[in-house]
Amino acid sequence: MVRRAEFWSGLFWLAVGSFVCWQALELGLGALREPGSGFVFFWTGLMICAFALCVAIGGIRGRGPMLGDLWRATRWRNVLLVIVALVAYAFLFERLGFVVCSVALLLFLMIFVDPVPLRLAIPIALIAGVGIWYVLEKVLLVQLPKGSWLEDLPLF
Amino acid sequence: MDVLAGLSQGFAVALDPVNLLYCFVGVFIGTLVGVLPGIGPISAMSLLLPVTLSGTPESGIIMMAGIYYGSMYGGSTTAVLVNIPGEAASVVTCLDGHEMAKQGRAGTALGVSALGSFVAGTFAIIALMLVAPLLARVAVAFGPPEYFSLVALGLTVLSFLTQGSMAKALLMAGLGVVIGLVGLDQINAMPRLTFDRLELIDGIGLVPVVMGLFGVAEILNNIEQHVRREVVQTKVGNLWPGRADLKASAWPVGRGTVLGFLLGVLPGGGAVIASFASYAIEKKFSRTPERFGKGAIEGVAGPEAANNAAAGGAFIPLMTLGIPPNVIMALLLGAFVVHGLQPGPLMITQNPGIFWGVVASMYVGNVMLLVLNLPLIGMWVQVLRVPYKILFPLILMFCIVGVFASGNAVFDVFVMIAFGALGYLMRKFGYEAAPLVLAFVLGPMLENNLRKSLILSEGSFDVFVSRPISLACLAIAAALLIAPLLPALRRKREKVALDVTE
Repeated sequence: MVRRAEFWSGLFWLAVGSFVCWQALELGLGALREPGSGFVFFWTGLMICAFALCVAIGGIRGRGPMLGDLWRATRWRNVLLVIVALVAYAFLFERLGFVVCSVALLLFLMIFVDPVPLRLAIPIALIAGVGIWYVLEKVLLVQLPKGSWLEDLPLF
Repeated sequence: MDVLAGLSQGFAVALDPVNLLYCFVGVFIGTLVGVLPGIGPISAMSLLLPVTLSGTPESGIIMMAGIYYGSMYGGSTTAVLVNIPGEAASVVTCLDGHEMAKQGRAGTALGVSALGSFVAGTFAIIALMLVAPLLARVAVAFGPPEYFSLVALGLTVLSFLTQGSMAKALLMAGLGVVIGLVGLDQINAMPRLTFDRLELIDGIGLVPVVMGLFGVAEILNNIEQHVRREVVQTKVGNLWPGRADLKASAWPVGRGTVLGFLLGVLPGGGAVIASFASYAIEKKFSRTPERFGKGAIEGVAGPEAANNAAAGGAFIPLMTLGIPPNVIMALLLGAFVVHGLQPGPLMITQNPGIFWGVVASMYVGNVMLLVLNLPLIGMWVQVLRVPYKILFPLILMFCIVGVFASGNAVFDVFVMIAFGALGYLMRKFGYEAAPLVLAFVLGPMLENNLRKSLILSEGSFDVFVSRPISLACLAIAAALLIAPLLPALRRKREKVALDVTE
């Protein structure tokens, strides 16, 4: 039972539903004549809890795949690498600026995640990074971060 | 007479050179994302939502609508040539379209698909033009109870029709409502679930949520697998179907068109369901059902017509009631809102230029698609040859750029990443994102109308059952909720879900 994916996902959503109910009570449910800010939250949270219980009970009864089967014979390392790269990108976005971050991200994805020959990866990353910057900044007039760490450098 | 006057005003808007350009860009991008597996109309529309801000509301909405119906055309190309549906509504086209391609009849399959799409698209526009003003007149009388019940019905229908567990779909709808209500309470301005973050005061943006759940999650799922794509043939051949093929396709196109339109109008319905239903009907009508799955032209013509008619029909609830029947229409609602417009019963009278302009642009866009797609199929085949390992970093880049440009905030990029990871896990554990996104958009409308109804009725729930439209909506929703508990109905629903999965 504890190895069933349904059981664990049900428990997770049960926790989420309970949290929503608790937050709703903090906000105040009001009265039926004048429902408060937490009114809909509370009933929706209860609904989430009820359906989460259904899912978890399904897992207890042996429904659905095993947790380990979900990642068997998959390239899950790629998923982790992409998520880590995206989080790093978001953290460095304002510090290093759009162009540097984007070229670095594209190169990382094309070298480490699903490898592309370097003779292709480098020009694609440079053309895409600079090209997108040009279209957004110069044509569509969208303000993109220039990079707070690079502002003092003479090049920038 | 009103319709003709409106339509002539609409053509004046649609044929404006700038709007023509936006329409062309929309249908072109729509076809491109329809062709490319791994990026669909939802991601493309989210990506381009901020871009529409630089033009007039008409231009923006015309482009967004063009992406939607353009993707319906494009999706069939990938389905026929690569056996991978470019977007979900083309799944059925793979069955017979790809078989036809393997028999050297790719050109005929693509030609029938384009012609069927054109006929269905045109029918849907004419019906939209005739039905929408009538429905808008009726909808003026709708009050908060009717709106609440309609939204509840829409969410229930969508949950009922999603694949797999209905409990999971309803759970996702509940989660969507919660996420949609984050931010200031619209009635008393109290911050809710904001955790003292200023960025959350205005709520969570639609674009980061959609891009995360559909764009990033799709990429994470694809890069985890060993995806191999093989284009069946380099030469597509004659695209114009022969007389026998046209004759065999005529009735399937007609049936698919009417069915698709009706399913498109229903809240929670849409192009995917329409194409599956049309395939099932054609197989039932056929004297030789054993040909289906082995290259039957009826199996391409019917579903392709149905998904295009559904795409047109889906505009009716959005334009007349302000209620998006599916996720794509929810994004279009987002496009209206960013331009300060509120679709609903008063839309046609208050903003006739926009309503009729969009309708007329759909005629123009359909002609553009027919003229563009048949000669450009060779180019789309070349696009399909770009390896996914080069495509996915670029798609990811466009997702980031689109999300950042929508709010000029890095916080939105974090939100997109979080929803991307959530969407990936949701797919792994068998939870669908569509009910979540639709509930996310409809959540504030649901809450507002529920609270207003209760305040107006002084706390009595009778207000929901004493009005016929509200009662009818709630009765249907209740029947759908009870249905899975009855063994016979549950088996039928599971069979439909299984057919869709297969």
